[in-house]
Parts: sequence; C-alpha cells; structure tokens
Amino acid sequence: MARMKFLCDADRCIECNACVTACKNEHEVPWGINRRRVVTINDGKPGERSVSMACMHCTDAPCAAVCPVDCFYTTADAVVLHSKDLCIGCGYCFYACPFGAPQYPKVGNFGSRGKMDKCTYCAGGPEADNSSAEYAKYGANRLAEGKLPICAEMCSTKALLAGDGAMIATIYKERVLKRGYGSGAWGWKVAYKETITV
Amino acid sequence: RKAEAGPTNLSAPIQLRKNICTHCSVGCTVVAEVQNGVWVGQEPGWDSPINRGTHCAKGASVRELVHGDRRIKYPMKLVNGEWQRITWDQAINEIGDKLGAVRAKSGAYSVFWLGSAKFSNEGAYLYRKLAAFWGTNSVDHQARICHSTTVAGVANTWGYGAQTNSYNDIRNSKTIIIMGGNPAEAHPVSLQHVLTGKEINRANLFVIDPRFTRTAAHSTEYVRIRPGTDIPVMWGMLHHIFKNGWEDKDFLAKRVFGMDEVRKEVEKWTPEEVERVSGVPGEQLKRVAETFAKQKPSTLIWCMGATQKTVGTANVRAYCNLLLATGNVGSAGTGANIFRGHCNVQGATDLGLDVTTLPLYYGLVEGGWRHWSRVWEVEYDWLQARFDEVPAKAGRNARTRKQNMETPGIPTTRWFDAALMPADDVDQRDNIKAMMVFGHGGNTVTRMPDVAKGLEKLDLLVIADPHPTTFAIHGNRKNDTYLLPICTQFECSGSRTASNRSVQWGEKVVEPIFESKDDYEVLYRLAEKLGFADRMFKNIKVEGKRPVPEDVLREINRGGWSTGYCGQSPERLKSHMARQGDFDLVTLRAKDGPNSGDYYGLPWPCWGKPEVKHPGTHILYNTNLNVRDGGGTFRPRFGLEHQGKTLLAEGSFSLGSELTDGYPEFTFGIFKRLGWDSLLTEQELATIQRIGGNNVDAVSWANDLSGGIQRVCLEKGVVPYGNGKARSLAWNLPDPVPVHREPIYSPRPDLVAKYPTLPDARQFRLPNAGASVQKAGIERNIPRDFPIVLTSGRLVEYEGGGEETRSNKWLAELQQDMFVEINPADASAQGIVDGGWVWVEGPDYKAKAKVKALVTERVAKGVAFMPFHFGGWFQGVDERKKYPKGTDPIVLGEPVNGVTTYGYDPVTGMQETKVTLCRIVKAA
Amino acid sequence: MKLVSLFPLRAAFFGLFGAILLAVSAPAPAAAQIVNPTAQAVQEDKLLRQLHHLEGRISIPDQKASVLIQPAGREWREFHNTTVFWTGAISILGILAALLVFYAVRGRIAIDSGPSGKTMTRFNGFERFIHWMTAGTFIVLGITGLNVAFGKYLLLPLIGAEAFTTFSQLGKYAHNYLAFPFMIGVVFMFLAWVKENIPNAVDVAWLKAGGGLFVKGAHPPAKKFNAGQKLIFWSVILGGVALSISGVILLFPFYATGMAEMQLAQIVHGIVGGVIVAIMIAHIYIGSVGMEGAFDAMGSGEVDVNWAKEHHSLWVKEEAEKGKVPGAAAAVPAE
Ligand SMILES: Nc1nc2c(c(=O)[nH]1)N[C@H]1C(S)=C(S)[C@@H](COP(=O)(O)OP(=O)(O)OC[C@H]3O[C@@H](n4cnc5c(=O)[nH]c(N)nc54)[C@H](O)[C@@H]3O)O[C@H]1N2
Ligand SMILES: Nc1nc2c(c(=O)[nH]1)N[C@H]1C(S)=C(S)[C@@H](COP(=O)(O)OP(=O)(O)OC[C@H]3O[C@@H](n4cnc5c(=O)[nH]c(N)nc54)[C@H](O)[C@@H]3O)O[C@H]1N2
Ligand code: HEM
Ligand code: HEM
Ligand code: SF4
Ligand code: SF4
Ligand code: SF4
Ligand code: SF4
Ligand code: SF4
Ligand SMILES: [Mo]
Repeated sequence: MARMKFLCDADRCIECNACVTACKNEHEVPWGINRRRVVTINDGKPGERSVSMACMHCTDAPCAAVCPVDCFYTTADAVVLHSKDLCIGCGYCFYACPFGAPQYPKVGNFGSRGKMDKCTYCAGGPEADNSSAEYAKYGANRLAEGKLPICAEMCSTKALLAGDGAMIATIYKERVLKRGYGSGAWGWKVAYKETITV
Repeated sequence: RKAEAGPTNLSAPIQLRKNICTHCSVGCTVVAEVQNGVWVGQEPGWDSPINRGTHCAKGASVRELVHGDRRIKYPMKLVNGEWQRITWDQAINEIGDKLGAVRAKSGAYSVFWLGSAKFSNEGAYLYRKLAAFWGTNSVDHQARICHSTTVAGVANTWGYGAQTNSYNDIRNSKTIIIMGGNPAEAHPVSLQHVLTGKEINRANLFVIDPRFTRTAAHSTEYVRIRPGTDIPVMWGMLHHIFKNGWEDKDFLAKRVFGMDEVRKEVEKWTPEEVERVSGVPGEQLKRVAETFAKQKPSTLIWCMGATQKTVGTANVRAYCNLLLATGNVGSAGTGANIFRGHCNVQGATDLGLDVTTLPLYYGLVEGGWRHWSRVWEVEYDWLQARFDEVPAKAGRNARTRKQNMETPGIPTTRWFDAALMPADDVDQRDNIKAMMVFGHGGNTVTRMPDVAKGLEKLDLLVIADPHPTTFAIHGNRKNDTYLLPICTQFECSGSRTASNRSVQWGEKVVEPIFESKDDYEVLYRLAEKLGFADRMFKNIKVEGKRPVPEDVLREINRGGWSTGYCGQSPERLKSHMARQGDFDLVTLRAKDGPNSGDYYGLPWPCWGKPEVKHPGTHILYNTNLNVRDGGGTFRPRFGLEHQGKTLLAEGSFSLGSELTDGYPEFTFGIFKRLGWDSLLTEQELATIQRIGGNNVDAVSWANDLSGGIQRVCLEKGVVPYGNGKARSLAWNLPDPVPVHREPIYSPRPDLVAKYPTLPDARQFRLPNAGASVQKAGIERNIPRDFPIVLTSGRLVEYEGGGEETRSNKWLAELQQDMFVEINPADASAQGIVDGGWVWVEGPDYKAKAKVKALVTERVAKGVAFMPFHFGGWFQGVDERKKYPKGTDPIVLGEPVNGVTTYGYDPVTGMQETKVTLCRIVKAA
Repeated sequence: MKLVSLFPLRAAFFGLFGAILLAVSAPAPAAAQIVNPTAQAVQEDKLLRQLHHLEGRISIPDQKASVLIQPAGREWREFHNTTVFWTGAISILGILAALLVFYAVRGRIAIDSGPSGKTMTRFNGFERFIHWMTAGTFIVLGITGLNVAFGKYLLLPLIGAEAFTTFSQLGKYAHNYLAFPFMIGVVFMFLAWVKENIPNAVDVAWLKAGGGLFVKGAHPPAKKFNAGQKLIFWSVILGGVALSISGVILLFPFYATGMAEMQLAQIVHGIVGGVIVAIMIAHIYIGSVGMEGAFDAMGSGEVDVNWAKEHHSLWVKEEAEKGKVPGAAAAVPAE
C-alpha cells in the first residue's frame, strides 16, 4: 500500500486558490470551514512564497493522540481519518495539530463547536464507500474511485503534489535539480519526521 | 432547477460533458459530470493541452454558476423603483416598442449596443450582425477597456492584433519579460507553462511592474517602475541595445520597416533620463536589455499595465519595437505573448463587437459592408437604409447614410458622455437615449459618478445577463429598466477563442436554469420583434426560437476569410475537443488520430475551406514553416511602399514558398499575372466572377467566397495576405513613433511640462479633452493635494465587475472586503493600520471610497493599488437593498471606478484605469 | 562578569533576532534595488530553526489560519498526554492510596468525648446552600473533566465507542454549563468564609501538631477553621479561580486568545483540575466517612458541641461568648 502524502512546491505555488475552491466544490464544504488554505510568507516582499496547506496526514498523528474519544483512525494508505459520529467537538485535535487542519462549524452556544471537519485526503470516512451518508459527513471518496485528491489534481501550476510519498518526493527532487532552487518540502519534517534532501 | 453535488452514484449513468471555463482567456477545459440533467461534479480535464486538468480558483468553482443561487430567475422590470416580475413575451414586446420609439425620435444611433466578451463566437457574431441590421456601429464590448490598444497597436505593426504565440510555447523561451501583467492572478494556469519553462530552460524571468506582484515573486529579477512610464523603460532598453549593437540586424533588414525613426527617439532616452522618469537604474535596465537581446528566444508578455492608458496604443507599439529590434517575433519561444482578458474576448474582438469594424476586421469600408451583405445574402442598399443621416452640426458637415455607415460608433468608455453632453457636441443625429447591455458589468468603466448621471438620462436600459450587474442599481432609475435572465455558456453550446487563437467548442452541460435563455434565443426574439429576423437568419437554422450555433459558425466560416476563420467548421472543432489527448503539449500539434497534423483548436488563421484541412497557425508570422503547416509572414496592410521605401519583405519568406521575396496580398488580378488563375476550379472561377462583377481583378483572398484563391495560395506555399515588413513607424497614428506622455493625472508636474499629453481632439463622435484636463489638474495643484498614484487591477478570485464571482460562495469567502494596498510609509504618515478603514479620495467629483487598508510593501511609497472587482457600495453607501430580491452578490464593496478619472487613448478611446491620483485618509 | 563571558550570549542573542528580523521582514524593494525573488525565497528549514512557528498572510478572515506550521502542537500533545495525564493520575491515585492507608491505620476519627447530644450552629442555610451547589457542580465537573482526560483509557474499553461518545458529549455539556454555578459558588464561598480563613499563629501550632489527625485524642486548638480547612479553602479559591480563568478561555476558544494561550490554558486547566480533584477527595473523605460528626456541619448545619470543642475549641469559646453555645454561659461583659 502507498504512503499518501502532500507536498506543496512553494516555488510553483502562486496562491491561486484553485486547490481551495476545488475542495469546497468537490465536497460541498460550508462557508467558514477551510479544509485547505493558502498561506503567504513574506507577503509583498522579495522572497514571498505561498504554501497550500491542509491536513498532512501525519505519521504518529498528534490529533489522534490527544482525541479524548479516540475517534481517529489511519487507513492502509496512511490517511488519517476520523469519525464524526464519535467526535465531541472538544477542539483538542486543533491544539495539537501542527498545521491548523481541524475545522469546526460554529453550532449552538459557547464552547460547543460542532463535529470537527478536516481534509480527508478525499477518502471519505468510516461509512460505506461513496454512500450518501459518507458524502454528507465527509464529502466525496475519490480514493475509493481510484482517483487522487481533487485539490492536487486541479492545482494550476502543479505545485501541489499528492500521492505516494516516495513518488512525489522523486518528482520534487527532480524539479529542484533541474531548476537549481527549492524552498523545501514544507511541513514534512513536522508531519513525517523526515524531509527531502536534494 | 438546482444542481446539488452528491456522491457520484456509481450505479446511475454519468455523462461527462466538456466545456471551457467562462472566466479568463486561458481557455481551460472544464469537465462536468452530469447525472439526470444535474451538474453533480467537476473532474480534471487531463487531456487539454492548455490546462492539463488544472484550474485556478475560478475555474475550479464554475459549477456554482449553474447552481445559480443569486442569478436573475425571471425577466423583471423596474416600476416606480420596484422590481416586478414579467414574462419573456411582455419583456421583448415592451423593449421592442421602446427601441422603436427611440429610433423614431432620435435615430438608430441613439441606441447603444453593449455586447460581451462572454458571448460565444456565435453569440458575438449575431450581436454584431444585429447591430448592423439595426443600423449602427455603436456596438462595443469589453475589448474596448481591455486590449483595444493592443489590437490597434499590434495590428498597425505587423498585421493582426492578437497574441502571436501561445501559453504553451512559452515553454520554449529562454528569456521572458512580463511587463504590465500579473498572470499569477489573472491567468494562473498560464503560469504552469511559464514556470515549467523557467525551470526546464533555467530561463530568465523578468517582471517589470510598479507592484511587486505574485508573479514578480516568482521572477528571477524584479524591476519596479513608476506607473505610466513604459515607453521610457522600453526606449531605455533599446538605448542599450542600439548602443551596443545587440539588435538583430539581419531580421531588421529583411522584415522591419522604419526602425531608424525609432532609433532617433531612443537616443533621447539616456539611462539618466530613463531613471529620472521611471525610477529604473540604468545598470539594471542594461542587464535586462542585454539578456533579452542575447539569451534568445525571448518573449515579451503584456497585459493591462500596458494597455489601459492614454498612451496605450503607443505603449504597445514600443513593446513591439523591442521584439522587432531583437528579432524575437515569428518563431518558437519568441513573440508578443499578449495575454487577453475574458474567456472569449479574442473571439468577440474577431467577430467585430467593435465600433470600428465589421466581423473579422473587414473595417467599415464599403468593401467590407458589401462582403458581409453577400455572405448574409441581404441587399447592401437595404443595410445602408437602416443607418441615420446626420445633419450638419456645430460647424461639422452633414453625413449621408453611407458616410455614417462607414464612421466608427461611440465606445463603451464614452457612451454616458454621449448621453450627457449637449447634443451638438455629439457627432450624430441625437444623444444616446437607450442602452442594451448584454453581459457587461456596470462598475468597470471609469468615472462612475458621471455614469450614474448618464444612466438617469436614458429612456430605456436593458440588462441581459445571468446577474443583475451594478447597472441595475447604479444611479437613480425608477422606470424603463429591464432585466433579462441570460444563461451562462455552460447552459448552451458554441465556440470560444482562447487568447492563443485556439477555437474551442463547448458542449451544453445542463439546460438553462430557472427561466433563463441563451443569448442566441434572446437575440432571435429581439430581431423578430424588430422585424428583421427573416433577413438576419436567412441562412441559419432556427429551432423553435433558438438559432443553431453550429449553423451560425458555418456562416462565420463562409465569410471569415480575412482572419482565417474559414477552416474551423463545427465538426473539426468538436473532433478536437473529443480527442484533446492527441495534441502535443508544446507544439500543440496532433501526432496522430483523426486530427493528425492539426494544431489544437485550429488557431486562426486557419486558411481555406474546412475541406482543405489547414492545420491552423500556432505561431503567427513564422517563416520557419510552410504556410500549409501553419507558417506565415508579416502582413502588408499599409500599401506596398512608403516614402519610396518598400513595405514588402526582402529576402525573407515562409518555408517552401514559391515566391522567394516579399509579395503583396493575393487578388484575382495577381493570380492572372502569375498564371495561377488556371489552377482555380470552374466553380471557384464562377464565384469570383459573380463577386467581382465588372472589377474581377480586385477580388481577393479576403472576399473570395469560393476559397479558391486561398486554396491555391496554400498549394503554392504562399501566404494569402502577402509577405510584408512589420512597421516600426506607423505613420497613420498620432505618434508614428511612440513618444512618452505623462498620464492625465501625474504626480510629476515637472515631467508633465516636458512630456504633455496630446492636444484635445475629436474622436469617436466626441471631444477628447485630455490636454485641457491635464492642464487644469496642474493648475488646481492636484499633485499636492492628491499625492498618491492610484492603480487598479485583479485578484485571482474575482473577475471583472465581479458580479458573478462575488455571488459564488466558494470564491466570495476568500475575499470578503474591498481594500487598498498602501505602502507602510504612507500608511504610518496617516496613522493608518493594516485592516483599518480608510477613505480613498479622488481628485474629481469629490469622489471617495470607503475600503480597508492593506499595508504592504507590494506597492512602493507613493503608490496605491485597488482591485476593481467590487461594487454595490457607492461613495461610502451600501446599496444592497437596491438589488432585486435574492440577486445581490454575497460580497459587496466600493468600486474603484467610483474614484478613477478622465483620460482616453486617442486611437481607441481606451480609458485610463492604471494611473490616476488619490489621497488616503483614515476613516472613522 | 567579564566582557568576554557576556559576548557569546549577546552574539547569540543578536544572531538569533537578526536572523528572525531578516527572515520576517526582508528590506523594502526600493526601485533602485536589484532583487532576485527566486534566489531570495524563504527556506522552510531555515525559518523553522529560527521561529517557533511559521506565519504568513491569508485572505480569509480566520486569522488562526495564517499560521502555517506550529510545531508547538506536537509539544502540546506531549504535555497533554504525559504531563497532564500523569499529574492527574499520580495526584488522584496518590491521594486515594494515602487515604486508604490512613483509614487502615487511624480508622474513623471519632468524637473522643462522645456526642454531647447538644448541638450548636456551624453553618447557616445560605452557607450550606453555597457549599452544596459548589460541591455538587464540582463533582460533576471533576468526573466529566476526568472523563476527558482518562475516559478513553478507562471507560471506553468498557462501554464501547458509541456509548462513550454519548456519555462524553453529555459530560461536555454538563461541564460547560455547570462551570457557571461552580464559579458563582466559589465567589460566594470566598465572601462567606474568607474572614475566618486568614492564616494566623494558631494555624502554625495546629500544623505542628499535625492537626491531631495522627494521634488519637490530640486536639490542637483551632478557631472556626483549622489550618487544614484553610488549606482546603484556599485550594478551592485559588484552584477555582485558576480553573475558572483557564476554563473560560477554553469555553470561548480564540475569542481573545491565540493558539499559544489556548494551549497554555488547557495545560493549566488540566493540571490544576487533576490536583484539585485529588485535594477534594481528601476533603470529602474527612467531611464524610473520615470523621464522626463532621458531616453534620454541612448536613444540618448543627454540630455536636463536643465535636466542636474537640476540633474548634477557640471557635466554641467565641461562640459561647456570644451566647450561641447551649450549656455554656454567655460571657458576661465585665463591669
Ligand atoms: N482573476 C482574474 N483574472 C482575470 C480577470 C479578472 O478580472 N480576474 N480579467 C481578465 C481580463 S478581462 C484581463 S484584461 C486580464 C488582465 O490581466 P492583467 O493585466 O495581468 O491584470 P491587472 O491586474 O489588471 O494588471 C496587471 C499589472 O499591471 C500593472 N501596472 C499598473 N500600471 C502599470 C504601468 O504603468 N506599467 C506597467 N508596466 N504595469 C503597470 C499592475 O501593477 C498589475 O500588476 O486578466 C484576465 N483574467
Ligand atoms: N479600474 C479598472 N477598471 C477596469 C479594469 C481595471 O483593471 N481597472 N479592467 C478592465 C478590463 S480589462 C475589462 S475586460 C473590464 C471587465 O469588466 P466587465 O466585462 O464589466 O466584467 P464582468 O463583470 O466580468 O462582466 C461580464 C458580465 O457578463 C455576464 N455573463 C457571463 N456569461 C454570459 C453570457 O453567456 N451571456 C451574457 N449575456 N452575459 C454573460 C456576467 O454575469 C457579467 O455580468 O473591466 C475593465 N475595467
Ligand atoms: C460529598 C462531598 C462533600 C462533603 C461530604 C463535604 C463536607 C463538608 C463538610 C462537612 C464541611 C464542613 C467542615 C467544617 O465543619 O468545617 C465542608 C466544608 C467545606 N467544603 Fe465540603 N464537602 C464535600 C465536597 C466539597 C467540594 C467538592 C468542595 C469544593 C468545591 C467543598 C468545599 C468546601 C469548603 C471550601 C469548605 C469550607 C472549608 C472547610 O471546611 O474545609 N466541599 N465540606
Ligand atoms: C472545578 C472544577 C473543574 C475541574 C475539576 C475541571 C476539570 C477538568 C479536566 C480534568 C478537564 C480535562 C483536561 C484534559 O483532558 O487535559 C477539563 C476540561 C475542560 N474544562 Fe474543566 N474543570 C473544572 C472547572 C471548569 C470550569 C469552571 C470551566 C469553565 C469555566 C471548565 C471548562 C473546561 C473546558 C472548556 C474543558 C475542555 C474540555 C471540554 O470541552 O469538555 N472547567 N476540566
Ligand atoms: S495534520 Fe493535523 S489533523 Fe492532520 S494528521 Fe497531522 S495532526 Fe492530525
Ligand atoms: S474535536 Fe473531535 S476529533 Fe478532535 S479531539 Fe475532540 S473529539 Fe477528537
Ligand atoms: S485532499 Fe480532498 S479533502 Fe483534502 S484538501 Fe484536498 S480536496 Fe480537500
Ligand atoms: S492550486 Fe496550486 S498554485 Fe494554486 S494555490 Fe493551490 S497549491 Fe498553490
Ligand atoms: S479563469 Fe482562466 S486560468 Fe482560471 S480556470 Fe478559468 S480559464 Fe483557466
Ligand atoms: Mo480585460
């Protein structure tokens, strides 16, 4: 089985937000929930770089470790998913996540956030693959259809890579060798405890 | 009818429908998943050589357009300030009657027909045709405020006003200059090609722009200039090039006319003067110039930073001269990569939604009118009779119907002046009294306070659009205003021409939602009501009341010789869309399959009849290829010689040409001289004779409806339009060699004195008072009171006036506030903090806009930038309640054009949106 | 200190901040300046080494989202899963073990002189109401809080995921809402009892005598509250305040705080919660099964005079002077 990862090549990313709206459109993610977002470092200055970030599907995922109801699980593809049926919206995974991935709908009164939502790597949730119940809670399950995450597939400049970690690392390495520069595999060390050295 | 996404129900059938993104000119393929007539999902269009599955934020969310939460659902009219629902029949009847009344009282020219770069080619063509049948040339669209100056400048240089190469071809470049364009936001998918090229070739990527844009962030060198100083920068570069002999002397000798005149002007632009005017240091410019001239192939990419200027046409011509001097036109990796605007602005321009020409650049001359009357099979005299006579006014001579028919109309940028000025100042029977707006925003033209007054003056305003647009709420209209719900291009079929001239056929994805109808049907119904539907649709099949777009395209093919729009039959285009995967990513050529040898989308010119199977032209003016393979030469359009010097190419010709020197355009007369007339078939000859009448020799490649002349040209390897030189010197323009002229509102009175704008003159039936306004501004001491240069442009998430995109919830979420970018130094001087509210105040109309401050070094000290996509607020007031219920966009904000000012390019009437002055103060 | 020894520190200081400054605010690109944005691009690993988190600009209003990477999340996880976990576990298990031992050794502390049959008022109705409101909500808060910290190890395996989520969800609501009466309770307790809880010399003696808890029949004198009770009181007050402040922050996440504050609040809350629960277990023990006659003070409010004399001799004296102790003559003012 593949070890799925994301890699945003910041030297390609132009902050076009295709990844963001593709995700919204694919999964009907409501206003205010941002499974993916694009952050620009050094905005407006030389050296400006944008990075598209979502759940990185960490190795030894912090979110899973702190969840008081233990509702996370990791698939055979190393995708970190959770059950909205079990989530109590406590917010702990958000404190633990190094990438700000978990999102909460504001429901009800103070403190009671709704069920946590985050990037599923377009792999749905615990329900039967591609069932309406799965769609309603987690969005489409592209992985089950043999497709990859829509955010990466639609990335305007092919900055955002998704797929088996070893494969995307190779693509990135080749790019850096060819062009002679690279700002790094953003988030890899923190998420996967490894990085790509070129 | 609502389209909800859901899990793809794998047991029910899913149809995949291919269309093209309706936002920008890149032309990304959209693959829609449709189930039970509902658009349920969007998949990457992997096979498209243009986008290879990818999109930007807008393209990735186009499904929302058809969800249509905030679209106009049914026809409406304004009755005493209230929107009332009406039926289509009532709407068309009332509009027709009111148009008739205006025509009877004030003449045909009192109606202003504003069309759209969102139309399909077929829609654009029908709209232009409808205007012709109505009897007016006052028919315009977004190109006026977009690339009109490019079209004029480039066409005046080498023949056609279009991008010479393609997005894909930039992969071949070794040096790339992007000047006055921010494709990372405006043409995001193009960056896929640019950045890959940069990586693979280790190419130099220079960005020359007043703002450190998101594109600049990926450049290898960024050059900051003062807004409005493109000509000094260009001349500054050429100064180094000529001084060091880096120019391409062979290219200049063979293919360029009049560069010596440019040299003379360039000599004045010493590095010191360039730096004084533009702020760019000589050393830096020298490096850019040397790289561009030596590390070839080099391409120059430009967009609105060059065009939206009082000196727009001159800017563009200066840009062309850099390309010509360095021999960077007409081969792979070179060229003027002009990134066009809206999804079909290229096609709408080609098809003549323009006040100066009939479809496909036939102009307004009698020959053009006669050509189209033959294609349309209507009598020329009938057409002529549709036009007004113009009485003598204010010392100007009267005009006959024929003269009026051959006189340009009033452009988009000035219609309200034509509504507001004393009738004597407007060079036609009467003021503008009615306006038909199909697919155009109301907040995208400068001087909005005057626009409001103009709108209030109209007897009739019709807005035919999926969204109400700010036209529906601007000013204080109470009656005689109609909203017609038009569906998007995803709810109808038709072709659209991308920036690179590839023509792509879009399939209908779903039926029009709510009561909306497509442009075709609405134009038919209008023509029917106006009484000329039978004539107008004589050769076009109409199903019910809907003209069949395939048939419209066939009519375009039958008349589109001048631009090579003759070979792109609907069948060929559909075959290309079906087999996109066969086309090469870099050459755009199909390696195999049924379209083997074709370039993707048959980029025009695609010569001859479809049967001739010309592959289209990927790279214009490319002498390295046979014309049968898409080769070409510069087009001699301006005579054969000027001041005793030839305008034909010397010793340069396209590969495999039977004529090995320059040659003029082909006519039957020339064919006879060459003995090629014998190669024409009998049928072709008969057609030529019928067209020529008693002057058969004059029948040319452009009006030979048989296509015979073009067919034989291809056989002989010659280019139908001839083989000429590009013109560095365009003697027919106000500045034959571009001259720097300060913007109307310049922060530098010292430079205004030295480089003033052109004197006042009459253009497009109206006075252009630029010089008076510039002078008055200096006298009013505007640079002191309004010290900050205000420029405007794009955000990736929104498009144009923004009515569609601000109604798209996926996009609206990403940009919720209108803002102004301001340098930290200017901000702290005014106590302005990032995210705080400010007033941006303009020098005229006491104009002001309340927006949020974005404090950033992206703009230099003394420069501010605002996006132009917002509307619905005006001068500090939120006007949301004026929208018909349920059609207000999610996000509203101040339009920058509430603050922009006077200024028009003398050649095209282009507005000045990129340089004006303002002051910014903290708001409570 | 010599200059030399200062120097490396200073160099390190400037080195670090200089680098941060450089990375965060590269100089303004004046027109005259030549910039190569490709070469100047930020490097992730360099930035991460310099900064505790990477932050940029984002166009959506959710400013939290502008933090790109916060490695602190991993540290917080360590804190939460180890420090908070073990502080709570050790405190609570420790206290339980201690009490068990204590009970085994000392047994129930009886009224040495036996019940007198006569009672005196120790807490009025209002005081008792406050106590039980605070106590009741505390117990629910404690249980539901501990469930969050320990439930998935203890309860979840027993009752299964769905039932555990249902319980935890209800617990969360309970915790959220009962926090308010608890906080009110703490305030009132403070007002009601602070006067008698100000430490004084008597407490020192009391403490030196081990409160008499460990020796049968030993009864060091005490006023209304002995030092042990004062410790309980102040634990409740200070702990309650800490829990309230951190709890309110947790209740309104990110209203006025950022990620670092949220993480800190959570850690404070978890640790203080665990410790306070442990302390209160001891209190509850003493107040119920641990000591004969003690419960009545909060039950009926009337305590046996003998009990009072043994545990709060000075208080009984004071009360007697006010004539509030049956059988003791009211102090007659000296004339
Ligand atoms: N997201 C999005 N994409 C779009 C559109 C949209 O509305 N939204 N619209 C489409 C259309 S219609 C068009 S025409 C294109 C336009 O695309 P662009 O022209 O690339 O976009 P703009 O932001 O208008 O302007 C480009 C740049 O011109 C610079 N500029 C301003 N003044 C000057 C000057 O004096 N000289 C030079 N050299 N540069 C200057 C600005 O700083 C800005 O960076 O985009 C198309 N694509
Ligand atoms: N200050 C400032 N002003 C500018 C610019 C700038 O940079 N600065 N840029 C200028 C430029 S380059 C341009 S091109 C213009 C763009 O300005 P506009 O063209 O006014 O912008 P849009 O809002 O995109 O307008 C297109 C309209 O077409 C409608 N539409 C979409 N599809 C269809 C269809 O199939 N049929 C019909 N009938 N309508 C349809 C949409 O709903 C929308 O209302 O703005 C110009 N104005
Ligand atoms: C079932 C549980 C409890 C029982 C049986 C109990 C019993 C008592 C008793 C008997 C007293 C009076 C002691 C005296 O006479 O001075 C008391 C006092 C007090 N109780 Fe509790 N209590 C319980 C829970 C709590 C809890 C949960 C809290 C804190 C939130 C608390 C806070 C206090 C305080 C502050 C005092 C006064 C100071 C003191 O006497 O130590 N009690 N409790
Ligand atoms: C005094 C008694 C309290 C105790 C013993 C207590 C204990 C706890 C414990 C142990 C946790 C779990 C910590 C972890 O797993 O790291 C917790 C969580 C929490 N507590 Fe308390 N707490 C108390 C009072 C309060 C108060 C007064 C408030 C609010 C004003 C509050 C709000 C919270 C919140 C918001 C959480 C987060 C978990 C959730 O959302 O359910 N607590 N508490
Ligand atoms: S990125 Fe955050 S949410 Fe995703 S696996 Fe890692 S810790 Fe969990
Ligand atoms: S918010 Fe939900 S998923 Fe996240 S830690 Fe809490 S219960 Fe687990
Ligand atoms: S992988 Fe899927 S769910 Fe995750 S961000 Fe991308 S599109 Fe959204
Ligand atoms: S789509 Fe690609 S280029 Fe655009 S913001 Fe996302 S990652 Fe960056
Ligand atoms: S807006 Fe332009 S770049 Fe973006 S998806 Fe549409 S066509 Fe492509
Ligand atoms: Mo445009």
